[in-house]
Amino acid sequence: MRRLWRSMPLQLALVLVVLFGTVSLLSLGASYAFSRSAFEQSIRDDLAQDIAGFRAAPSARAVALLVQAESEGTDPDRLVLSYVTRTGQIYGNGAVARDDEGFHIISLEAGRAELNGEYLALSTRLHGGRLTIARSRAEIEALRPVFLNILWISLLPTVLIALSGGLFLARCSQRHVEVVRAALDRLTSGDLAARVQTGPRWSDDLLRIGTAVNGMAGAQERSVTALRQVSSDIAHDLKTPVQRVSLQLEALADVVPDGEAAELVAKTRDEVDGISAVFHSLLQLTQVENGALKAQFTPVDLAALCRTMVEVYEPSAALRAQTLVYEGPESLKVSGEKTLLGQMLANLLENALRHTGEGAAINVGLGVTEHGVKLIVADNGPGIPEDERGRVTQRLYRLDRSRNTVGNGLGLSLVEAVARLHGADLLFEDAEPGLRVVLQFSPE
Amino acid sequence: MKILVIEDDITTGTYIARGLREEGHVVDLVANGREGLVAATGGGHDVLIVDRMLPQVDGLTLVKTLRGAGNATPVLFLTAMGSVEDRIGGLNAGADDYLVKPFAFGELSARVAALGRRPQAVEKETALHAGDLTLDLLTRRVTREGQVIDLLPREFALLEFLLRRKGRVQTRTMLLEGVWDLSFDPMTNVVETHVSRLRAKVDKPFATELIKTVRGAGYRIDG
Repeated sequence: MRRLWRSMPLQLALVLVVLFGTVSLLSLGASYAFSRSAFEQSIRDDLAQDIAGFRAAPSARAVALLVQAESEGTDPDRLVLSYVTRTGQIYGNGAVARDDEGFHIISLEAGRAELNGEYLALSTRLHGGRLTIARSRAEIEALRPVFLNILWISLLPTVLIALSGGLFLARCSQRHVEVVRAALDRLTSGDLAARVQTGPRWSDDLLRIGTAVNGMAGAQERSVTALRQVSSDIAHDLKTPVQRVSLQLEALADVVPDGEAAELVAKTRDEVDGISAVFHSLLQLTQVENGALKAQFTPVDLAALCRTMVEVYEPSAALRAQTLVYEGPESLKVSGEKTLLGQMLANLLENALRHTGEGAAINVGLGVTEHGVKLIVADNGPGIPEDERGRVTQRLYRLDRSRNTVGNGLGLSLVEAVARLHGADLLFEDAEPGLRVVLQFSPE
Repeated sequence: MKILVIEDDITTGTYIARGLREEGHVVDLVANGREGLVAATGGGHDVLIVDRMLPQVDGLTLVKTLRGAGNATPVLFLTAMGSVEDRIGGLNAGADDYLVKPFAFGELSARVAALGRRPQAVEKETALHAGDLTLDLLTRRVTREGQVIDLLPREFALLEFLLRRKGRVQTRTMLLEGVWDLSFDPMTNVVETHVSRLRAKVDKPFATELIKTVRGAGYRIDG
């Protein structure tokens, strides 16, 4: 939901709503002020006209009578007429008094005392008395609710329509963005055949992004295909001569007499085997990393595989008085590729056997945690220094102290690639002492 | 056996052919896919050894075509691309086994021998014999010179596997595949240690050695 609020169509709608609201408020405010002052002016004009009418009266007595007559039946809430003669007699429907708080209009009708409300008044001396005429401003005040109503009626639907429209568009575009994101995710995880499936109702800019993503994915796929072709060609072209060398050495081994020459041949054969092992590992690594093998995944009993691997390596461990045990369930299925998982376990076990001393204890643990299946290979050997843990999975990287041992620095790279292919996190932890390799599979 | 080798690399092809002939096989060697297909359909071969990358008709297509035509001759694929995907692709196309270059000749020879025997029906045996050793499949007891030999289940399986293939070399990878159902490349001598444990029980207390090491290839029990 939070992401929805931050989506572009909705933000645009919000900005438009704010803009439209501001403009409406300004124009309504201006018309209100204008109407108000026009009204006031017309009241002032009326007052001046009223006064002028009374001025025409010839005497104070006549003014008093006229005021009296005029105020009969006139609602003092609307119009107040008041004439105070020189002797202090009050005529009309109200009396205007003044004190520290300002003007007061006192009603002369029975039952009413002061008149509240706002008035515009005009006062003048006439035949020794004071004539005051006050007109209510109630009509002007009535403008305010009218204008407020106009404001609500015009603004509220606009805001609601704009917001719901924006929300609708945002949901649409969010769905479309989700489609693009899903395609990109699949591309990132190695599925190079993934494409954005655009629809006819897509907005033009998203459509363009989708098309561009598809173009990029296509180019990527073509270049990876080309690269794979090239690497398999290289593999073929280089492995064939290595094959010849290997076969010829084999033939040579059969004919040379035992002795120095035979030893040299044996050493050379070992070297050639090393070369082809590196080749094989690199090719396998490349293939695992491209992720296409996911299509070959089947349910694999990881527990059975662990037990078999432990059993296979146990005699090798026993040769150096090392112990190798499996602790875990009888059976535990994961979705994966059995050969690769087996190779991964083999690499981890061979590392553990090779890099720990005589009498070391190696444990293979398997279990299910709340985060999914967890596979652990732990030893009590020298471990990996903390600052080197990030680097041991790099291709051909080897710890300084291991340079003279067997291995080509590709074992853990393959472990990492296989783990990633299976959606598992690979962690190197301190087993205090020793190394604990943790493979945390993500829950299905 | 009569074996057809379809391999475009002349050095490798010649070497394989010579090695197989030395072992007493009759070998036809062709260097491209089209000729290979013709030779294979001409028939009469017990095993085909086919390189995956061939000029004119590639190995995968060749095998698919043969299988489509109802030819069931066992096929061993040779390939420079030693990856799982290729292996599965090759086996799906109808190949029976798969060997990654570079390989040792011993490995090839052992696998060809295994393929050539494949169609034979497995006889219902209750006991396997080699020399003075008897492995009783029903009681799961092993005796030699009348002495009972105690074996762990996997040692028993290893001995049974070798006895069932008496006289034929079994390579390390064949043993890993056959006894443990694992196909991976161990860097250490895992198979050797298992065999030496088995030898310590089966051979060491006795005068003659039953489990022979075939240099550069694997192990064999002779009758």
